Amino acid sequence: MGVEDPYSEILNIFEALIFQVESATQYHTMSVLPRWYPTSLSSDHSSADPREFVQKSFFLQSFLQEAEEFWQAHDQGKLQSGLWSEQALMGDESYLEATALVQKGQRFLIIQRYQPEMVTIQPVLQKARENHLAHGKELEVRKDVEAHLGSQLAESEQIRDDVMAVLEHLKLATVMIDENSVVTYASPAVFHQFAIDTQSLVGGLWTQVLPLIEEQCSRVQEQMTLPEMGRTSVAVSLQKKQKPWLEIEVEVHDDPRDQRRTILFLKDRTEIEDLRRQLIGHVHFEKLIGKSPGMQDLYQKIQEIAPVDVPVLIQGETGTGKELVAQALHRLSARKGKAFVAVNCAGLTDSILGSQLFGHKRGAFTGAVSDHEGYFEAAEGGILFLDEIGDMPLTTQTTLLRALQEGEVIRLGESRPRKVDVRVLAATHQNLQNLVEKGKFRSDLLYRIRVARLQLPPLRERREDIPLLSEAFLGQARAVTRKFEVREISPEVMQILLQYPWPGNVRELKSTFDFALIHCHGAHIQISDLPPEIGGPPAVLVTPRSSPRGEREEILAALEQVRGKRAQAAKLLGMSRSTFYRRLSDLGISSEECSR
Amino acid sequence: MKDQGVIQKKVCMLGGSSVGKTSLVKRFVTGQFSENYHTTIGVKIDQKSQCVDDIELLLVLWDVYGEDDFQKVRASYLQGSAGYLLVVDGTRKETLAVARQLHTLAAQSMGPVPYALLINKHDLSESWQVDSEMYEDLASNACLALPSSAKTGEGVELAFAELASQMLKV
Ligand SMILES: Nc1nc2c(ncn2[C@@H]2O[C@H](COP(=O)(O)OP(=O)(O)O)[C@@H](O)[C@H]2O)c(=O)[nH]1
Ligand SMILES: [Mg+2]
Repeated sequence: MGVEDPYSEILNIFEALIFQVESATQYHTMSVLPRWYPTSLSSDHSSADPREFVQKSFFLQSFLQEAEEFWQAHDQGKLQSGLWSEQALMGDESYLEATALVQKGQRFLIIQRYQPEMVTIQPVLQKARENHLAHGKELEVRKDVEAHLGSQLAESEQIRDDVMAVLEHLKLATVMIDENSVVTYASPAVFHQFAIDTQSLVGGLWTQVLPLIEEQCSRVQEQMTLPEMGRTSVAVSLQKKQKPWLEIEVEVHDDPRDQRRTILFLKDRTEIEDLRRQLIGHVHFEKLIGKSPGMQDLYQKIQEIAPVDVPVLIQGETGTGKELVAQALHRLSARKGKAFVAVNCAGLTDSILGSQLFGHKRGAFTGAVSDHEGYFEAAEGGILFLDEIGDMPLTTQTTLLRALQEGEVIRLGESRPRKVDVRVLAATHQNLQNLVEKGKFRSDLLYRIRVARLQLPPLRERREDIPLLSEAFLGQARAVTRKFEVREISPEVMQILLQYPWPGNVRELKSTFDFALIHCHGAHIQISDLPPEIGGPPAVLVTPRSSPRGEREEILAALEQVRGKRAQAAKLLGMSRSTFYRRLSDLGISSEECSR
Repeated sequence: MKDQGVIQKKVCMLGGSSVGKTSLVKRFVTGQFSENYHTTIGVKIDQKSQCVDDIELLLVLWDVYGEDDFQKVRASYLQGSAGYLLVVDGTRKETLAVARQLHTLAAQSMGPVPYALLINKHDLSESWQVDSEMYEDLASNACLALPSSAKTGEGVELAFAELASQMLKV
């Protein structure tokens, strides 16, 4: 392939090692040596033979056997090796990936090196691809690409096809701009990936034909004025119908043939962004942590309810994170820039709570030394979160109901109502219906506040989230106590955490870690670091060793007490684990007996 | 492929995630240990030469993903192995089950090649969870089965040396 060919020069920009494969032993290099090419193989880049790289790589030699089979069986498509690193060859631990590509019977071998940040994105991308596959989307897209490429290829020269095929694989949408800022070429990928009609681009000023807003154009332009080495890629979003639509990254390169011309690469980031959001969304949602079905369901409902401007009743046991749910609702609602005021209604007398919520006039009661605006007014335009609403005194309930119905409050000691625009979110650990039946809660207020309802699952019903939560709380407690050496939770401790009933729910788990970190010495949190009610000897004491009971009974009793967990039983009996196991086999205690 | 004359042997590191495969390779190849945990991504290839009775051998060590991702590892990565190191974390007995699965997988794709069984992290004796009865089945066909530590180096040289000499005999 001649150096004067513009397309092959484009390939050089990719920093990939690209071969056209004639046969198992015949390769033609299609690109110049990438900058990452190991110096151990070439002190002089111009004379090095990149085929040496393939021969010296243990990984590639193995991959090529697979590739050979693939090439023989397919006329179209690709086989990817997955990431690998080969220190002895590369001189460092960088990651490489090989692709065996076949396009209309033409075979290519492409070797790419990944930036470290790419490596962390890779698993995410992998997931994204799997998702796509699952939805059968990939198939559709590929068909589309093939059809389009097919017609393109038919009318081009072979040499150009090759480059195009490789370009297409590299998934890079390419736009070439001449010295007058006019688009001279847009690769098929621009069409396939961004659904931008390439014909509409060619001949126009890039700043006008590319669907970017002005500010983004000028950021790209800014990069064009910099020397090639100093440039960074620009994150922009393509617009559709005046709205941001796709998040992409624009990379600015000089045209190797003519410095006054520019080549833009448009890289789709949406897939990554979406996926990152999705993945993160699975584990975290706002400040809530958990990937259990119960929490997923909750996240879904929060998203549905948040934008609808109605009161919400959040129900859940103590310590389940009701306030976090309220905060999430706030941030996802139209009131997000406005106030979020939280009030705990428990343990307050009628008059104090009333004056706190609705405000008072100076002198309205003893101690009211000045005019005071209530939380309702403070939350104007935003959200008022009433925690433990089940504890609200009846008189306050009546005033609250009026405030909700009329959208106005009257400060204590005043008669003039003040308009308020507040969305009320209420939370309780009690069964309000029961309170209504007992006459402790107004039924009309209940109907008013539970227009929408959310139920938080207790921790014991989502034990699968305990490891995740534990990691998070360990991290938080570590930062607070500055004991950075504490890195792990020992497996025995995790066992205990997984089995404990957690009456205090997530809050109790969090404080367990605060406690443990204070007591922990060393890298692992041990059972002895846990609060006594969690890690301490179980309430029912095992009969001491000196008891007349046989050792066999004693061991069985211990096992029963810890539900078959041998490590814990050993601890309980004060034996080392290996002694314990030996005694088990000496006494002929079977594993069925252990877990009985 | 490489310099003619030196015998090359491919050795796979097999075991659940975090049992210490990467650390064992590092200890063997560089003599170092680091506490930092970096999940191995994809395949990591290292090499070290080893002498067996005056014969020089180049061991090419293939360190692959942890077990969790093992479905994604091509069986072909295991092909062509002259032997493997099966690694268990002695402080987590559940890694025995993973080792068993991998052992079966290895037998399928490599055939009957020699392997050494390492019960790793022996320096953490206070949290030790396994004893020899628990892995008798895995040990019985191994050319060597012993506790090891990538941290202190215990058992590491020995395991590779024994495996190398067994691979030569085959
Ligand atoms: N104490 C101790 N820690 C080890 C030993 N081997 C590995 N580790 C640690 O265990 C973790 C996982 O090790 P790694 O080699 O990455 O495991 P791999 O997933 O099997 O490759 C790391 O934090 C290592 O530092 C050992 O022999 N003793
Ligand atoms: Mg590893």
